[in-house]
Amino acid sequence: MLKLAIILGVPIAMLATVASLGVVVVDVREGGPDGSRIIVPVPLVFAQAALALAPIAAPADKLRLPHEAAEHMGLAREVIEALAAAPDGELVRVEERDEQVLITKEGRTLKVRVTGKRENVTVNVPLHLALEALPGADGRIRTAALAGALGSVRFTDLVEVHDGNDHVRVWVW
Amino acid sequence: MRKSIQAGVGLLALSAVAATPVAAQTATAWLHVRVEEVKQASKVSVNLPLSVVEAVLKASPELIERHGRIHLGREHARHGLKLADLRRVWKELAAVGDAELVTVESEDENVKVQRKGDLVLVLVEQKARSDKDGKKLKGAEQVRVEVPVSLVDALLSGEEDEANIEAAILELRKRRGDIVRVQDDDSHVRVWIDDQNAQAPAGK
Repeated sequence: MLKLAIILGVPIAMLATVASLGVVVVDVREGGPDGSRIIVPVPLVFAQAALALAPIAAPADKLRLPHEAAEHMGLAREVIEALAAAPDGELVRVEERDEQVLITKEGRTLKVRVTGKRENVTVNVPLHLALEALPGADGRIRTAALAGALGSVRFTDLVEVHDGNDHVRVWVW
Repeated sequence: MRKSIQAGVGLLALSAVAATPVAAQTATAWLHVRVEEVKQASKVSVNLPLSVVEAVLKASPELIERHGRIHLGREHARHGLKLADLRRVWKELAAVGDAELVTVESEDENVKVQRKGDLVLVLVEQKARSDKDGKKLKGAEQVRVEVPVSLVDALLSGEEDEANIEAAILELRKRRGDIVRVQDDDSHVRVWIDDQNAQAPAGK
């Protein structure tokens, strides 16, 4: 009985530990009667470990932005910081015959919603994650900082796409 | 039990109202841009807190040097735009008070620059154009730009050939109302400042 408890208990405890540290879930649902559903849970610790180890595995130039893009990072940082400190509101609304784009700032999240005739896309960008993802003035992408910031976006829907009957959702649990 | 249900429904309704993204007054000034194109049935609204506009301006090193000042270098001076001269002329004009500063009337357009109270108004009226057969080539266009005198004062408060962007932004924070209106056959553009964090549905 004790053996069985250990055999079942250890993996369950490990799973519970990994889950408690956060899981990125990719959920793909195909429409139609034969549509399949694929759920890919990626423990956040794995994603964080991969990001933290990326500089070792990838050549340095692959983790660096081109000079032309890097020189605007200061401006991007200033704008994101100012946005984070600004009050909530609707920043952009584009209304066309077949499509509507809406960008709002809600709390510390930038929400982008694209509503089309057939397709609806929602992307939520946590502003502090965007700040961490921004390369420094030298253009170097700081993967370790990004890995650290991932932990703070738990219980957040990152992407949701409805395309006809198909549905894709990525969220951090 | 009934009271609890009623209270629950009330709370739900309240939360729904709170979640509805309606324009709300904030303590910050917002710069709004609205572009409507009738033919394309397209409407674009951009609302930015002035703090964000300020950050963009401050973080553009090529345009603005330290302390939020635009440096108009020799290149501009060579083409006759010297800020020190502009500052002197502005000082002279300030002493005159309300006046029509510039009037240009031509076949194609009329331009008027006038000082009215605490505003400098720039009015451009482009006349409609048609070809020999009377077919309309281009519709009439009206541009109205309202620049507060205090904004120009602030902009020119820099030294020598520097424009003081920081002071200009501070002035813009106090300003409420229209800054630019452009209207032609096909499109309407409006730029204004208020305390609302979104635009009214009708875009008024």
